[in-house]
Amino acid sequence: MSEAFIKVENVCFSYKDDNDEDIPVLKNVSFEIQKGEFVVVLGHNGSGKSTLAKLLNMILAPASGKIVIDGLDITSDQMTDDEVYSVRQRIGMVFQNPDNQLVSSVVEEDVAFGPENLGVEPEEIRKRVDGALAEVGMTEFARHSPAQLSGGQKQRVAIAGIIAMLPECIVFDEATSMLDPSGRKDVMRAIEKLNKEKGITVIHITHNMNEAVNADRVIVINEGHVCMNNKPKAVFSNVSKLHQIGLDVPQVTELIYELKKYGITLPSDIIDIDEGAEALASLFG
Amino acid sequence: MAELTLKDVSYIYSAGTPFEKKALDNVNISFKSGVITGLIGHTGSGKSTLVQLLNGLLEPTEGTILLDGEDIWKNPKDITSVRFKVGLVMQYPEYQLFEETVRKDIAYGPTNMKLEKEEIEKRVSEAAFFCGITDEYFDKSPFDLSGGQKRRVAIAGVMAMKPGILILDEPAAGLDPIGREEILGGIRTFQRQTGTTVIIVSHSMEDMAVYCDEIVVMNKASVYMQGKTSDIFAQSDKLIEVGLDVPQITHLFKKMRSMGLNVPENVFTVDSAIKATLLALEKRGGAR
Repeated sequence: MSEAFIKVENVCFSYKDDNDEDIPVLKNVSFEIQKGEFVVVLGHNGSGKSTLAKLLNMILAPASGKIVIDGLDITSDQMTDDEVYSVRQRIGMVFQNPDNQLVSSVVEEDVAFGPENLGVEPEEIRKRVDGALAEVGMTEFARHSPAQLSGGQKQRVAIAGIIAMLPECIVFDEATSMLDPSGRKDVMRAIEKLNKEKGITVIHITHNMNEAVNADRVIVINEGHVCMNNKPKAVFSNVSKLHQIGLDVPQVTELIYELKKYGITLPSDIIDIDEGAEALASLFG
Repeated sequence: MAELTLKDVSYIYSAGTPFEKKALDNVNISFKSGVITGLIGHTGSGKSTLVQLLNGLLEPTEGTILLDGEDIWKNPKDITSVRFKVGLVMQYPEYQLFEETVRKDIAYGPTNMKLEKEEIEKRVSEAAFFCGITDEYFDKSPFDLSGGQKRRVAIAGVMAMKPGILILDEPAAGLDPIGREEILGGIRTFQRQTGTTVIIVSHSMEDMAVYCDEIVVMNKASVYMQGKTSDIFAQSDKLIEVGLDVPQITHLFKKMRSMGLNVPENVFTVDSAIKATLLALEKRGGAR
């Protein structure tokens, strides 16, 4: 079997409080992510999800443990500057607030910002920018000002800016949480398309359980530990455990879980509407 | 209890310049007093402009805003008193905390209202109670709290002004399910006990369905729909058409009906879905 694309081994991380005392955020976290996977990370506020994201592209460094990306140990102190830059190019990040990550006053210039900094040739930049904007369905806005865009459109421009750097993996840190329902749908569609058609590995951090339903795998972080790491169906069938650690399940799953308490026989691994409707219909015979 | 009404209100940004943009176009809304109204609409539909008009941060280009029957701009010098009566909690209010202690931060609004010391103290503890902030936090620095706690301190600061109308812009954005429940549940308890007129802006249809009595839907600078929460969410196609949605559970029941099952149409929360399913099964002679 081939080596995993991302390997996180026994990673610990602490922040310092005002009295210079360590506040542990991640405690011995280990998991692997394969190339081309779509992984959703769930966890309540303060569980360590965002810290984890920042460790993956070297915004933060772990206190102990090892992170290996495509065979390269990014936690080693032998890392050269070039290697650090290459990690940041290969693992892109999109953050929560669309207004905090656009730097230019013209959409296409904003998308060009990343490749320009990587020293890419101008002709190649042109190609990449056009390609990236097409990828997220924002071509017609190339000459617009980001200020005139909706939140969902801004996020798609931010994603295009990452794609233009030709990353192999993109980490989305609650990138949909500030968007309206249609903005959310558009961004999710763009992310799924990048994953399916371009084979980009996706790590999507979210509080929205419906966005986890179609993932290849769901990792649940609680109190700095990985407490579940499995297919969405397997994770969401643990309704009571998820509730205990302050997380929800999709509403369909919740309904079926509650109905089972009344002694109604239903499967416990239902996470989407179609399956839910089928299962409930069977009760009516 | 206070009443807020918009009469033929329009608002134009950069009027008279090439960048002129009509953010609100002849809007008429009467916010029912003593209930929670949800304000929904896609990005750019005019919600934020509306909210800023309601407490006098913006002045309408045309039309009037009536607070308990009086035009809030009748005497522009008195607009500060309107802001005491119509409290606004902006998005991510935790970034606006600045005092040394939680107590002082919550007391900031009532202090500016020049109230008696005793009254201020009373209001601080009441507001803290609704927001689930216990005494042990009072002397801490607000900057030592978690994100969700900070948010609750910021909301308590506005509640402590005892506004007749409380407006909250995305009060639960970015919080996990427990954090959402703490904040929205606290707002509901506050509303039920004080009778304050509450307006919540949110993109979460699931939360709106659970916590709001009434809904106003904005689209393209105009009021698109307004009515009881159940009547609004019953029109899912109309909502989806303007970039909004209905809760997942509502989609489930729609799907079941399209399969020919005799389940009700108007199901918007998991609780009502449980009841509706049990009732439908019972009617059918039980399949338990």
